[in-house]
Amino acid sequence: MMKNNNTKLKDGILRGLIYLSATVTVAILVVIIGFIFYKGLPGVNLKFMTRMWDDETTVVDVSRNNNSNSHGETDYVESLGIHIALEDKNIVIKSIDSNSPVKDAVNMKKASYELKTGDVIGKAGNTNFKNITLEEAKKALDEGTETIRMKITRTGGGILPMLVSTIYIIGLTLVISAPIGICAAIYLNEYAKPGRMLNIIRFAIQNLAGIPSIVYGLFGMLVFVQTLKLSYSVLAGAFTLSIMLLPTIISTTEETLKEVPMTYRESSMGLGATKLQTISKIIIPSALPGILVAIILSIGRIVGESAALIWTAGTIAQIPKTLVGSEAAAATLTTKMYWLIKETADLEQASSIAVVLIVLVIALNMLSKLITRKFLKKRTS
Amino acid sequence: MKNETKFSVKDLNLYYGNFQALKNINMELYKGQITAFIGPSGCGKSTFLKTINRMNDLVEGVKISGNITMDGVDIYQDMDAITLRTRVGMVFQQPNPFPMSIYDNVAYGPRIHGIHKKSVLDEIVEKSLKQAAIWDEVKDKLKKSALAVSGGQQQRICIARTLAIEPEVILMDEPTSALDPISTLKIEDLATELKKDYTIIIVTHNMQQAGRISDKTAFFLTGEVIEYDDTEQIFNFPKNKKTEDYITGRFG
Amino acid sequence: MKHVGKNEMVAKQQKDYKEKVFHFIFLFSALISVLSVIAIIAFVFSKGLKPFFGENSYSFLDFITGLKWDPGTESYGIFYMIVGSVLATLGAIALGVPIGLLTAVFIAEIAPKKIVAIIRPAIELLAGIPSVIYGAFGLGVIVQLIKKVSPTGQGESLLAVICVLTIMILPTIITLSESSLRAVPKSYREASYGLGASKIQTIFKTVVPAARSGILSATVLGIGRAMGETMAVMMIAGNNIGGLPKSIWSKIRPLTSNISMEMSYASGRHQDMLFATGVVLFLFILVINMVLIKITSKMGNANSKK
Repeated sequence: MMKNNNTKLKDGILRGLIYLSATVTVAILVVIIGFIFYKGLPGVNLKFMTRMWDDETTVVDVSRNNNSNSHGETDYVESLGIHIALEDKNIVIKSIDSNSPVKDAVNMKKASYELKTGDVIGKAGNTNFKNITLEEAKKALDEGTETIRMKITRTGGGILPMLVSTIYIIGLTLVISAPIGICAAIYLNEYAKPGRMLNIIRFAIQNLAGIPSIVYGLFGMLVFVQTLKLSYSVLAGAFTLSIMLLPTIISTTEETLKEVPMTYRESSMGLGATKLQTISKIIIPSALPGILVAIILSIGRIVGESAALIWTAGTIAQIPKTLVGSEAAAATLTTKMYWLIKETADLEQASSIAVVLIVLVIALNMLSKLITRKFLKKRTS
Repeated sequence: MKNETKFSVKDLNLYYGNFQALKNINMELYKGQITAFIGPSGCGKSTFLKTINRMNDLVEGVKISGNITMDGVDIYQDMDAITLRTRVGMVFQQPNPFPMSIYDNVAYGPRIHGIHKKSVLDEIVEKSLKQAAIWDEVKDKLKKSALAVSGGQQQRICIARTLAIEPEVILMDEPTSALDPISTLKIEDLATELKKDYTIIIVTHNMQQAGRISDKTAFFLTGEVIEYDDTEQIFNFPKNKKTEDYITGRFG
Repeated sequence: MKHVGKNEMVAKQQKDYKEKVFHFIFLFSALISVLSVIAIIAFVFSKGLKPFFGENSYSFLDFITGLKWDPGTESYGIFYMIVGSVLATLGAIALGVPIGLLTAVFIAEIAPKKIVAIIRPAIELLAGIPSVIYGAFGLGVIVQLIKKVSPTGQGESLLAVICVLTIMILPTIITLSESSLRAVPKSYREASYGLGASKIQTIFKTVVPAARSGILSATVLGIGRAMGETMAVMMIAGNNIGGLPKSIWSKIRPLTSNISMEMSYASGRHQDMLFATGVVLFLFILVINMVLIKITSKMGNANSKK
């Protein structure tokens, strides 16, 4: 009856294919991460994380210090309390004394503009600092009237605006969608009775989950950017993402609500608590870790989203100052990375952003794991 | 009744991690008979049954010492588990048909062992279902899902599925515990019928069942065989006080 | 406490009132999803269908069967894009489902716990990587490799899209298949082993068939993902302005990348046509969603029968 060898051969082949597939899957991940880190890691450093994206040139006035301590060093500007250096034919502020007057510098609008280490001095008084020697620069900075006017260029190349914008959009989106999503999940799990209404809501959620993000992008642009005249802004982006994230938040929250044992509800109601009290005092607290996981999952989606944000929040690298209008346009890390590849084909810098993104994703994954594990431990003990 | 040894068990010990589930089992199981294993829950009777076709291999952390021979061949040393299981079939506590048609369920075994010819399969399926005394009930719905029939019928389909691989021995692990009394009787009749061609070893909670159908009975307690003898002897003149207590229902 | 007074009555009424208000809030929150779907359909469709109605309308037939997209000369044909999208999706499914399923089998049935503890976070990471990064990877690695072997000398191609989409749907296929494999009752495995089946036979003849509806819904979900993927695909598809793909080396212009390529500067009819492309994409996704909902509800029924 048995064709043992034949079976063994077939088994062996299939087993080989299984191992091969698993290896391929892992290898793909390794190659992707390897590629991104190889290309991008050299560009990731403190400056990259903390600097603005674009170079920023400002003219400032500095009132000199009279009682400065003399060092007699060639690179020290006594009246300003700064060390300067020559870097790539530019005069750069190397260090700043703690009592230096450049900390009280003001721009042309009389607003404070504190100079920082690394700022490039382009002009001081009437002296242009292009191709100038260190001695000449020191002399130009030390001489002249009590107030010296300087042209300062702050080097960009950093992703600080995108980091801040990403955080803004995460915050805004969650403020909008988390309460709605959680309330919807509560309705579905605690209130809704089987029937037409429930079917319609579930059907809508399932469809919402399947709509590709580019369609959300179209919708957001049409409704929030154009019709509601929010223009490319963090708010328009956050509205769009809020709708997109509803299914994730609702279904994840609902799962955790389902896990809250029925006996909790019964004993709470049995003690005379109303439904609302039971929900707020018993059900939500015991579902909190799960809700937290839902929120972390959503953060992951927001961080990674591009198609729904490019035409709603724009791709300008700036720290948004308002919620709507031209000052509110903001690129997240991901949309800026997309922009870099599409507009400049700069794979290196794009990969540097990607490194930051991957680290973020790993951190979020670990965080949600941590919460789940702690939560499970609590349940089983 | 002549006693021709089918299995010979020597100094068998079995551990789940640090827990010893079977202690020093020594016994002979005979061909063409029904042997019943009885005893309270957790006494090791099911564990022992599963060592006979090496289903325990699938459980993590199991260690076995001693040996079991079938027709003189050591089933752990000199036989691979797959060959063993085609010769020693098993029927489980819960009817567990696959979510396929009745036909495909019964044909499953022959197919995995390389029989694919339709006419041969048809023959095997019919023969097995007839042997399992369920042919008349299902012959018109062979293409229907095996999950769509009653629990008793499902269990007989599972028996047919076991018979289809033409084993020499059938292990039954509390085969009727999930069934109603009428279905139970049908399975018991079937077991008695099958005894002619097969060696049957059955684990049961149901003492009456053991008394009704078995030739030999072994009483297990905390991993040990307390008493093993002809069923008549065990039920009427138990030698051990513990056996007597259990059989008369005075136990625990 | 025992005293039943007016205050208590008021308190009770307030309680009832609060219950009602919150009930309404919860219900309204749930209805926002419904409103959103309706709004998305209404807005996208009304803008996307505008070019085909009224004066000076564009022939819908020309739109849906056209083989050239050139806004400069008012040619808006998307048939070759539909073909490109469908081929890319089918290719990704043909590669991704077997690899994903076998990986799921490895995780659920074969791998020891220690290896699972490594491989599972890896797959979660794969799922969490933003699609733009997949695009960068596709551009930097896959397109470069294809360039070396392609007879056309071009890296951007149907093949590149298939490769990247395959990678992108793997996590979906693996996770969903794995959980449906794990949901197969142990008794099926025991029965199969009891009949003398080997481990591999048990997996492929019993466990996988028993999990088939879960695997099927994973596949359908994968189709939806592949069809709707935009950013990664746009960077590597080539985005030709016309012509059906002739081989895997041909450039394609998936529906999604048609939209994202030109959205930033399109206006007037051109912009409407991009929305029209969105409508076609939406309809495809809608059909896929329906199939998925059907499968999952069937699955739910089957489970409740057990």
